[in-house]
Amino acid sequence: MTDTDGPEPDDVAAEPSPTEAPEPTVRASAIRPFLLTAGRVAGGGTAPPLPVEAQVVATSDGLSALRALAFERHDIVAACRRPQSVAELAAQLRLHLNVVRVLAEDLCTAGHLSVHVPDARTVQDISVLRRVIDGLRAVPDSRGTLRDSS
Amino acid sequence: MDSAPSPTHGAHSATAAEPAPPPLPVKLVIAGGFGVGKTTAVGAISEIRPLTTEAAITEVAAGVDDLTHTPGKTTTTVAMDFGVITIDPTLKLYLFGTPGQDRFGFMWDDVVEGALGGLVIVDTRRLDDCYAAVDYFEHKDIPFAVAVNAFDGEVQHELDEVRWALDVSEHIPLTVFDARDTGSVRDALLVVLDVAVARAKSAEPA
Repeated sequence: MTDTDGPEPDDVAAEPSPTEAPEPTVRASAIRPFLLTAGRVAGGGTAPPLPVEAQVVATSDGLSALRALAFERHDIVAACRRPQSVAELAAQLRLHLNVVRVLAEDLCTAGHLSVHVPDARTVQDISVLRRVIDGLRAVPDSRGTLRDSS
Repeated sequence: MDSAPSPTHGAHSATAAEPAPPPLPVKLVIAGGFGVGKTTAVGAISEIRPLTTEAAITEVAAGVDDLTHTPGKTTTTVAMDFGVITIDPTLKLYLFGTPGQDRFGFMWDDVVEGALGGLVIVDTRRLDDCYAAVDYFEHKDIPFAVAVNAFDGEVQHELDEVRWALDVSEHIPLTVFDARDTGSVRDALLVVLDVAVARAKSAEPA
């Protein structure tokens, strides 16, 4: 995807609300998203839901199959040319977190995405904690202008 | 040592054609009452503008101990803000500001599961608002620190009074910070990580 701001959901543009001022931020619709998942919700099965920070990457198979994918599935695989978290994906595509979880798991099963779930032992891994500490210490006292995520 | 694929989700992680493995994602949770400065704090240190996503939060009655088997729980959709700090190409730190309204109860296990630690932000004018977060982290045994957000550089209570009022034990660090200030947020997060390191050390076999 080349659009840095993420796509505008079609339903937002199509919604006729001539009297109301547009909302400053577009919120994901609470009802429509789960039509995409055939009513399924994340974590409905035996497996725990994907962690919000889990990294999702398009596979080469997924990228070659991109033309055959439609709508949100297409958008998800296209956005995952660059690895990103489930949460970033949901924010960028303006989809409900749990919708992204379900679709990402489907796409992973289909071989279009690979999903990397962090090891639960990471939280007790002192070497990881030390790297985070060193990285944070390197953060300057003030940030310049924040960039929008791309 | 990078993200080991889990048996459930990692079936396709080992595709040989993958270019570079994604970074190991770690996260810290920023909690506290509504309007206490969570998103401000995330925005002050995140390298991107805080992103918002809709998360499902399980709403439970306050004061219920066993949250997992509460029959009356319902799911509420709330906006969740988060930011990112790239530690290095192989390690990415996510900061999740948990939706903090009291009426949502405290069952953001979904977001908090696997967090390195938590920072509870306190507004001394509304101390009550952060009890739930403090209780939550204590109950879940997640390393955390409490940071008083000094709005306009002012703190209305002495830290000792705050500690007493919140009933947090002496081993929980309590600091004052400014949620708008990058360096100040960084230092508050470092306090949380110190707690996490101490916890990890004590968990190591002697």
